Amino acid sequence: ENMSDFSLNITDCTQVVVPEEVFFTVAAAGILENLLVLIAVIRNKNLHLPMYFFICSLAISDMLGSLYKTLENIFIILCKMGYLTRRGDFEKKLDDAMDSMFILSLLGSIFSLLAIAADRYITIFYALRYHNIMTLRRALVILAIIWTFCAGSSIAIALFSYEAATVIPFTILFPLMMFFILCLYVHMFLLARSHAKKIASLPTSTVHQRTNMKGAITLTIFLGVFLCCWAPFVLHILLARFCPHNPYCACYMSIFHVNGTLIMCNAIIDPMIFAFRSPELRSTFKKMFCCAR
Amino acid sequence: MSALRLISNRTSQQALSNSDYTWEYEYYEYGPVSFEGLKAHKYSIVIGFWVGLAVFVIFMFFVLTLLTKTGAPHQDNAEPSEKRFRMNSFVADFGRPLESERVFSRQIAEESRSLFHFCINEVEHLDKAKQSQKGPGLESNIHFQEVPRSSGMFEEDLNCLTKFNIPNFVNTEQNSSLGEDDLLISEPPIILESKSVMQSSHRILD
Repeated sequence: ENMSDFSLNITDCTQVVVPEEVFFTVAAAGILENLLVLIAVIRNKNLHLPMYFFICSLAISDMLGSLYKTLENIFIILCKMGYLTRRGDFEKKLDDAMDSMFILSLLGSIFSLLAIAADRYITIFYALRYHNIMTLRRALVILAIIWTFCAGSSIAIALFSYEAATVIPFTILFPLMMFFILCLYVHMFLLARSHAKKIASLPTSTVHQRTNMKGAITLTIFLGVFLCCWAPFVLHILLARFCPHNPYCACYMSIFHVNGTLIMCNAIIDPMIFAFRSPELRSTFKKMFCCAR
Repeated sequence: MSALRLISNRTSQQALSNSDYTWEYEYYEYGPVSFEGLKAHKYSIVIGFWVGLAVFVIFMFFVLTLLTKTGAPHQDNAEPSEKRFRMNSFVADFGRPLESERVFSRQIAEESRSLFHFCINEVEHLDKAKQSQKGPGLESNIHFQEVPRSSGMFEEDLNCLTKFNIPNFVNTEQNSSLGEDDLLISEPPIILESKSVMQSSHRILD
């Protein structure tokens, strides 16, 4: 079907446009912040630990996501200004490469979050054996496996995006991982609560209920942020695959750019809730900036 | 993103080249989507999705808070308790990356000593029963898997002795006192794994 009779119905859902300045600001902030985290971990020898390597992996995947959006915007601008043709072969290849970068970012984020949750789980439940279970070498091997898998999957998905089969596993993976991460954290949370009970039952100690609230808030923030930033886009992909002609779906898909901005906001928020909670990392930052002055 | 190109094999003649945000990857322009006869509001999926997401997050928060409320009773205690401080930091740090950089703090020697005493006490309790298990463990810094697994708790104790690394969930503040508090914080995994150790650790604390 050709689009020759595209009629601008007033009740149409027009594209919700995010201003370019907002786009670029959010993307640049995300990239810079995650780059700072990476530099801090690399420079401080005390931070060469499995836990921080997983946080770095998350920072890298966030950076890739923001980078993708930035490049996409730059290409839009170049297309508008006429430097790039719109149907060239080179542009299509470039577009495929950028798509795979984006899927790599999404998969990398999910697996990094999973790795962080698993690392904390092992820390709490196998504390005395932690240093034997999670050695530095094993952590690097795990990260290598994760990123190889993500790279392979992203290239495969980007190349075979025409097949229906690629979208379904992609969208099933997302809630499955979320559910698994949620289970890990809830189990850790339950242990903290039972430990609090045991402490409270000792005669000379008290437990402040407020701190358990803080655990609940922290956990909700972790998962809430990830869900709110990535789920809209995943839903977009699902709707685009299965009901592109439905007016309701089309209206949802018109907020595509807002969903993209949300993903970049995730890149800004993630370092705050993972990396910057560590005092060692914060002090490394302070040292970096103080020395720079 | 052209991964969505899978829908639109027909993006060739888009008549929108003069609008702001169009380029060839616009597959959301699916041609004439008729907006007539809509029963519900056209943004109903958007609204429904966000409301559902918010409800889910709030529900998750309430479930977790409910778990909290049915947990430890709140006891009032006038004196500042080190244990409470530690418990606060342990539970609050649940959300924080549990740091082993404390290993590098200047209190490591003292904490190693206290953990060492703890381990020594443990091993003394268990040593009477099983003399033979101690040998290979004390000699070298062996991995957990290599220690004979005849009894569950020996490996941890032997590891205690061979490596005085503080497990990285021990949160040691600069101004905190040492001693029983460390032992208390280092309890949770042991509690999970063996009731007998809990009894012995209570013995240590009393």
